[in-house]
Formats: sequence, structure tokens, C-alpha cells
Amino acid sequence: MVDFSSILALLVEGVLLAALGVLTGILFMGIARKVVARVHNRVGPPVYQSYIDIIKLLTKKTNISHGWIFDLALLFSISGILLTLLFLPIGGIKLLSIHGDLFLVLYLLAIPALGFALGAGASGNPNAGIGVMRALVMMFSYELPFIIAVLAVMIYYDTTSIATIVASQSHMRWAILVPPLLIGALVADMALQGMLMEKPFDIPIAPHEIASGPMVEFGGKYLGTLMLYKATSIVVETTLFVDLFLGGAVVLDPATYGAVAYAVNLVVWFLLILAVFIISVLINTVFPRFRIEQALKFYWSYDTALAILALMWIYFLYI
Amino acid sequence: MIWEAISLMVLLALLAYATGRLSRYSGIFAVLAGFVPLAMLFDWAPTAGLKHLISLGFEKSTAVNIKIATLHFSITPLSWLFLTMVGGIFPFIALYAISYFKKAPGGFFGSMTLALVGATGVVLASDLLTFFIFWEVMSWSAFLLVVRGRDRSAITSYFSFSALSAYLILFGIMVLRSEAETLSFSSLSSSITSSRLTLLAFISMAAGFGVKGALMPLHIWAPRAYSRSEEPFVAYLAGGLSKLGYYGIFLLFYSFVGVSVITRFGTFRGVPYLGYSLAIFGALSAFIGTVLAFMEDDLRKLLAYSSIGQLGYIAIGIGIGTPLALSGALFQAVNHTFFKAVLFLAAGSVYYRTGRWKISELGGVAYRMPFTFLAALFSIFALAAIPITSGFAAKWLLYVSTVDKRFVFLTPIMLIAGVGAFLYSFRILYGVFLGEPRYPDIKEAPALQLIPMWILVMPLVIFLIFPGKLMDVFGEIFAYYGLEGVSHTDFAITTSLSSYNTLAVIFALMGGLMVAFIIYVSRPHRVVSHYDNYLSGEIPEVHEGLSLHAATRYYKPVEDLFQPYFAHGAERFYHHIEVGLEGVGDGLRRLFKTTVSNMIYLVLAGLLLIGWWLTW
Amino acid sequence: MAEEIKEKWSKIARWASKRSLWMVHFCTGCGAIEMPPVMTSRFDMERFGMGSMATPRQADILLITGYLSIKTLKRVVRVYEQMQAPKYVVAFGSCTINGGMYWDSYNTIKDLSKYIPVDLYIAGCMPRPEAIIDAFNKLMEMIDRGEARGWEKYEKYYEKYKRNQEAAFNYKLEEVEEVEEERKGGEK
Ligand code: SF4
Repeated sequence: MVDFSSILALLVEGVLLAALGVLTGILFMGIARKVVARVHNRVGPPVYQSYIDIIKLLTKKTNISHGWIFDLALLFSISGILLTLLFLPIGGIKLLSIHGDLFLVLYLLAIPALGFALGAGASGNPNAGIGVMRALVMMFSYELPFIIAVLAVMIYYDTTSIATIVASQSHMRWAILVPPLLIGALVADMALQGMLMEKPFDIPIAPHEIASGPMVEFGGKYLGTLMLYKATSIVVETTLFVDLFLGGAVVLDPATYGAVAYAVNLVVWFLLILAVFIISVLINTVFPRFRIEQALKFYWSYDTALAILALMWIYFLYI
Repeated sequence: MIWEAISLMVLLALLAYATGRLSRYSGIFAVLAGFVPLAMLFDWAPTAGLKHLISLGFEKSTAVNIKIATLHFSITPLSWLFLTMVGGIFPFIALYAISYFKKAPGGFFGSMTLALVGATGVVLASDLLTFFIFWEVMSWSAFLLVVRGRDRSAITSYFSFSALSAYLILFGIMVLRSEAETLSFSSLSSSITSSRLTLLAFISMAAGFGVKGALMPLHIWAPRAYSRSEEPFVAYLAGGLSKLGYYGIFLLFYSFVGVSVITRFGTFRGVPYLGYSLAIFGALSAFIGTVLAFMEDDLRKLLAYSSIGQLGYIAIGIGIGTPLALSGALFQAVNHTFFKAVLFLAAGSVYYRTGRWKISELGGVAYRMPFTFLAALFSIFALAAIPITSGFAAKWLLYVSTVDKRFVFLTPIMLIAGVGAFLYSFRILYGVFLGEPRYPDIKEAPALQLIPMWILVMPLVIFLIFPGKLMDVFGEIFAYYGLEGVSHTDFAITTSLSSYNTLAVIFALMGGLMVAFIIYVSRPHRVVSHYDNYLSGEIPEVHEGLSLHAATRYYKPVEDLFQPYFAHGAERFYHHIEVGLEGVGDGLRRLFKTTVSNMIYLVLAGLLLIGWWLTW
Repeated sequence: MAEEIKEKWSKIARWASKRSLWMVHFCTGCGAIEMPPVMTSRFDMERFGMGSMATPRQADILLITGYLSIKTLKRVVRVYEQMQAPKYVVAFGSCTINGGMYWDSYNTIKDLSKYIPVDLYIAGCMPRPEAIIDAFNKLMEMIDRGEARGWEKYEKYYEKYKRNQEAAFNYKLEEVEEVEEERKGGEK
């Protein structure tokens, strides 16, 4: 059995990294708003605006709920996304990622989404039902190319564990430097656009069509928690991308450089996920919104074709 | 002892038949009969936890001489596992059925018990003759139950497909017997050669078993029979009896024909072609079943298609045949037994209270039936493989096994089918249980329905925490068939590619829930009505007959895209066959006056004749 | 000590709520057309952390952008009641103050504050974007000083407001009375 001190260390590490993840995510939401504002040639809100928003939502004087199933949204969304965060290596810090793998992470990501969907459904608002339908169809759309691209990575490194994938990319042998995996990264980045629900794939929330879809009845602490969930999911999804294709942001080997390496890696991790996120925000700024069947068609045709190309390239020429 | 136990069950079945018209409490006999396999299970338990809990002294193997033949029974770890599936859920389903029927259900409980007898016999059989006899007992009693649904297309499709399955299996048995000169499981595989005839026998038996396992494209009967029969039976059919098809396929691979013979027909990356093609059929079932499921509006049909999809995963696992994949398949079989039984029972309870099957006509049931909802929610989590139930471990083993073998076609298909499972899961959750409270006056399901449901949910939770316990049983099975095991502890499964530790998931989830709970209690909230909703300022109460339930054709955008490709493809194929056969059938009709009972007598007589010929 | 912490906390809460005002997208009269310039590049109200939200559950400010017919009033009241406290109402244009050019119409209300509590009026027909931005700044100051308490007033005089609303819904505008003797809250 594991000794007590290592469990304690893991606990402290987990709490710290979870906090880091959440805080980074909220900052990212602010940065996104600033970036969009600058593209629109506006001043935009301060980058810390999202912190203020969350404090405001969590200090609202009244909150309404539609019964206990509605509350599940709050409980499952934030806990599920924190759980997922802990199963990802962040800047080379493994955390729980050795106890799970990529498939686990893909399914863990469904916990908060399904919890959220349950709450939305329990609100009894038809807009929420439609929004969840769109979210699920979106998921059905982008998962196919994403899975094929990720499968290319998995069979290239012959593992399904994210920690091992990160380890195999050490010494800057990043996956995107392998030509087929570069295509894979491109595919995954397009899928990421859908995962992050940025335009042109913000179909599920579509504020102007279905009154922000699943969130229509959420306010106060419920909406605050959902913002925390959204913020953390930005970090989770971009980190997943960085772990798979950008070497998990490991530039210095902790074995030789010690604590400095961790600090440097965390900084690099921050910069890389920021870069990935900003690319997606920039795409978001200039696009209008697809309809849901257009999104499905897009993902299952162009994106999947590219993904299959990457997979076949790996399959026949690299292994 | 085994034969006495089976006779006791038959006796109880007869009692249930005899009293069936008097009262619905004749189901007691069925429940009692259900405890017989339970007793066997405890007595034979291969893992330390259950061993010697009670000792009834069931012998490990036995031969019984009845007039026309000698029946051989024995217990192996595999049959123990499948006995938990077909026997373990039966008493609870029977208990449920007592409360489900509002008046005396006639022959229902008798036929159910007979089906149990058949299923028990099938898993305990140790030669092909015994196997086939009980297989037919099981099939025909299930047929009697399908007939009770009084739906012509369900009856004819079930009848023709199970007859087809019986002939295919029988043909295979005859070929095997002529090749190996024996019918006993233990000596079959050693004396079989890899001739063309063996291949033919293999394929025909696999197809025969595939019918019972609702494997595409042999699934046509399933949605019809599932959606037109009484719910407790459907729960048993989907949860228990469908596994027997995969039990047969498993035996076909490891006992009837044997891996060494099968590999001689060629391999692909170390997996026999035959296995790989089974896996492909499984993957197609998984994907097409899933897509058809989320386009379906009838709750029972949806669940039927979902069964087809989920059973497809078992076929994939058995087809690939590595220890990893087999564990995945068996794990999936165990999970599916429980969650699908619970789902059908929960659907039955919803029908019991509302009288509706169409998802678009239901809605808001959860607010009135919270315990039914929770049971259904748990099993839906298991079905969608959310890692807070045991459902995930099974899918995970299968995924890893395909990546391990680098089957780049299977992995994406399985995973996308897994995502599709979220889609139809949510269609059930939203359409039936959540959304607008359309049934404000219904009551919670009766306790006699809730208790069985919740007992059946328990294994899903137990095997979440201790997947290793189940893996121990699989280990015994692998040892029995001379395969390697999968390395595991009580909480963790380790493969060459990665590992999965349930404790890590559970503790991390606890931590997360703690954070969420702090936020939840830190601010007060007030519960408002479901009609106090933002509808662009509109006030729903003032509009007569306004529906706030967006559940009609829920996935319309996807439906519109997929309809041309998926609509009744297989059914059209069978329709052509049907038209062709009609001419032949017309001729035959003059020979036999086709009433159902006539047909049964004819087929039974034929079977008896064949059985006599085989053992002679 | 506990008091101090409570005071500090409510100060933080007030600060956060003033710096992050979300409005519900509910446009009634002509005034709505002045909102796009306020939101977009020229005046950019997102500078102040303001944004528009799709539903009242998420929003803090209800903008009444102009005249209100009685039919719309029903919806406005429902939307207002669905908002989560603390919530503020900002009324645009002379129509909401005294009926404006619809002063003698049979189916528009004349004085909004008799039906829901108004925290701030913006005069003009139509107020220009500069005026709107200025009003929002004023509202923020009021929130900071703890003066924007319309929602508390609504709870306190709930009966009276309801009576007035009922009278209006039944087109008996002459039965509508003052909710309070003297009207509080800033006017511009
Ligand atoms: S005040 Fe003038 S601009 Fe505003 S609603 Fe009335 S008439 Fe229209």
C-alpha cells in the first residue's frame, strides 16, 4: 500500500493544481473577452473581469432552483471537471494521470456535461432541452474526428496513457513534429473549437436563438458554478491538446533540473494553453454560427477525412 | 442434485401454470424457482468472498438418464458467471412482475419459470445434446411469452428467427458430431479438424447464437419482440436470455471448436479471421444499434435498439479474444444484465403509472417518481459508461484491447457508439423523466417494484468499487480455458498500455463533490415551480394546451441527415427474402394448417426425432 | 469582529455587483435602438463589465427602453420577478416617466414606478448613448453607496404594486395610485 506522506503530498499537489487550474481558467475567460474586444476595436473589460463576475454571481442575494435534480447540475458540473483536471498531467506534473488514461479522461469529461444536462432538463424549460440536444449532437459530431486523430497518437506511441504519451515526447520530440500527427493536431484543434463551444460551433448556447440554451434557468450561485465549470473546462481541454500534441509543455527534465524545471514547465504550460486558447478565440471572433446539422456535416466530412488521412499515414508508414 | 433442482423448478413452473388464472400471486412460485439457481450460485461460488457461505452440496458434474437420452451437466467458472446473469436477476424480476400485473396473468409466470429452467439447463449443460434441448425449452417458453403480446409482426419475426436459429445450431451440432464422434464439451475441441465442414458448422452456429444475441443483421426480431411483450419478460429477455447467445459464441470459440482449429483458418494480427469478422459485426451492431436507438420515439424500441448496441460490444470482445478483450466482453455482459434489466423494469414502472410508452407523450415523471428515476439514472450511467458506475470498466477494457491490437477500425466505431449512447440516454432522461411536469398526479412506483430495481442496481455500484472481484472470476474462467489472465488488484486493472484505478476516481470525485457542496450550501436558494420559467416573458399558465416539452423528434437534425442511410436497411433486405419465400410458403400452407400450436407441435416432434437420431 | 467581516464582505459584494452589471435583453419601445451603439465600438459599455444576457435569471439590470403597452407590462412584470436580487431597473425616455407622447393613450402605462420600482430614469425622447453611459455610471455609484434598493422596495410594498398591476391589466388605469408618498432614487 502507498505510504501516508505520499498520499498527503498528492493531496496538497491536487488541491494546489486544481486551484491553479480554476484560477487560470477564469483568467482565460477574461483574456478571451479582452481579445474579442480588441479585434472589435473596443477597449473591452479588464482581464480580471471574470473574477468579478463570479464573485457577483456567488454573492447574489436570492437564488432559485427547480428541485433537487436541478441542483445536481451544480454538484456534478464543478466536481466532475475538477476530477477530470486531476487526471491530466499539467506541465509534466503527473498527479493522478498514472491511475487512468485517455479513455478515462474522455469519459470523465462526460460527468460534468451530463450533470449539467440533467439540471438543465430538470428546469422544465424547452430551450434547455433544445440546448442540451444541440450540445449532445455537437459532441457526437466532434468526437469522431477527435477520436481518430487521438488514436493516431495512441498507436504511434503505443500507449493509451496520457502520462506515457507526455513522457515519450520529452526532449522536445513533440508530436506535431511528426508530419501525420501535425495533421492530427490540426484535426484535434478543429475539434477543440467545438469542445470549447466557440464560434462557429457555439450552437448549444446560442444566446440569440434559444436564450443561452441549457443555462436559461441558471442564475446566481448556479450560474457562478457553471462559469467555474466553463473556466476549468477551458483549461482541461486545452491541456489535453497540449499533452497530446505539444509534449505536455515539458521543456526541462525535472530529473536533472529539480524544482526549477517544475516552475519553468508550469510557465510554459501556461503559455502554450494560452496560445491554443487564443487561436480558438480568434477563430471565434471572425465567424458567424453554424447550424447544428452543418456542424455535424463539417466534422464528419472534412475533419474526419483529414483525421483518417493522419491515421492511415501513421498506420502504414510509421508502425 | 442438479437434476433434482431442475425438476423442482419444472414442478414450480407447472404449479405457476396451474394457479396462473387464479391470482397474480402465483408469481410466488416463479420467485421460489428463481431461488434455486441462486442457491447453486452461492454453493459453487469460485471466488473466496462467497465460497462456503452456504454449502448445499451441489455436485460439480452429473449425468442423468432420461428415457430417450442421457443428459450431462457440469459447472465451470464460465457457466457460473452466466448463471449469475440468467439466474441472478430472475427472482427479482419475478417479484417485480407480481406487482406489475394488475390481474391474474395466466400462463406468464409458468412460461417465465420454464424459460429460467431452459436457461439454467443451457449454462449447466456439458454436452451438445443437453445444451440444445434446454436451448429449445428456453426459446419456446420465450416464444409463449412473446405470443402473449398479441402482436402479429413480433410473433412472426420472433418465431421465424428463433426457428432459423434452432436449425442453424442443430445443423452445426450435427456436423460437429459427425466430425468429432462425440457431443461432450470436454472432448469436442480435441477431436475436431479444421475442415471446410467445420468452418460451415462454425459459421452456422455462430449465426444461430447471434440471433439470440441480437447481433446485426440478425436483430430484426428484437425491437419488435421487446416492444410488444410484457415488461418483466422483456427485462428478462434483454437482461438474461440475450446473454445466452454470447455464452454459446464463447463456447463455440473455446470449447466446441477450439481456438487452435479456428486460428488455422487464418489470422489477422494474431486474431483469427473468424473472430475478427465477429468483432466487425459486433462493431456494426454497436454503431447502428446506437444510431437507431436515438432516432426512436417508442421507449421500449429505444431500449431494444440500445440493447442491440450494447450487446454488440460483447461480440467485439469475444471476437478479438485476447484476455483483455474477453474480460471486457464478460464485464460488459455482467453490466448489461443488470442495467438493462433495471432500465426495462423502470420503463415498466413508468408505464404502470402513466400508461404511456411514447417518449414524446411522457415527461416530468422524475418529480413524482424519484426512486424509480434514481434507479434508472444509475443504470443509464452504467449504460453510458460514466465512470461513477461499473459500466466504464467494461468499455475501457474493450477500448484498450482494440488499441493494443491496433484495430484502427474498431476503436473509433466503438467510441463513437459510446458517444451515441449519451444521446439516447439523454433522450430517455429528458423525454421521460425530466422536462415539463406533465403527470403531476401520479404516485411513486409500488415498493414491490422499487425493491427489485434497487437490488439489481447494487451490483453496478459494487463492481465500480471492486472491479477486481469480478476480474477474479474472469481469471478462473481464463485459467479453465488455458488463457492468460489480466493483472489486477481489487481496485485497479493494469494493462501493458495503461491502468485504471477506481479508488483514484472515487476519491477525486469525493474531493470535487466536497468543493461543490460547499458552494451549494454557502448560499441559500428557493425552489420554484417548473412553470416559473423564462419563456421570453410569456406566461405558460394562460395558454391552454401549450406544451413546454421539447421531446418530439428530439434529434431531428441528425435524423434528417441519417434517415436515408439507416431507415430500415436490414428490414428491406429481409422483406425481399420474405417476398421470395412467400411463394414457397403458399405451397406449404396447404400442407399444414398454420396455427401457432400446430407449428409448435410439428417442430417439437421434429426436434425429438432428431434428438433420438443423434443419440441412437 | 463578525460585524466588521460582514461589513467588509458586503462591501466586496457591492463592488463586484457594480462592476459586473448584466442586462436582460428585453426591448420594449423605441429606446432599444440606442443600445447597439452603446454596446459596440463607439461607446463600448463592456469597459464597465456590462453585457447583455439572454435570460432574466442571469441578469441584474432590467432596461425598460421606452413606452410600455399594458400587454407588454405583463411580460415585464414577469421578467422582473424572475430576476435574482439584487436587481435594478433603469427606465428610458419620457414615456416611462409620464407617458411622453403617449400621455393620453388608452393602452400604455404612464408612470412605470407605480408598477415596478425604478432605480434610475433617463430623460429624453430618446436619450443619447452618452446619456445612457452616464446613467450607468450613476447607477454604479448608487450601488456602491447602497442606494439602489428598488428590489427591497418591491418586496416591502408588494401588495401595493400588485394592486396597481392588476388595475392596469384590467385597463382601469384610473385606479392606479402612488406606491409611496415621496419618490426615492436619483432622477436625471
Ligand atoms: S420617450 Fe420617446 S423615444 Fe422613448 S419610447 Fe417614448 S416616444 Fe419613444
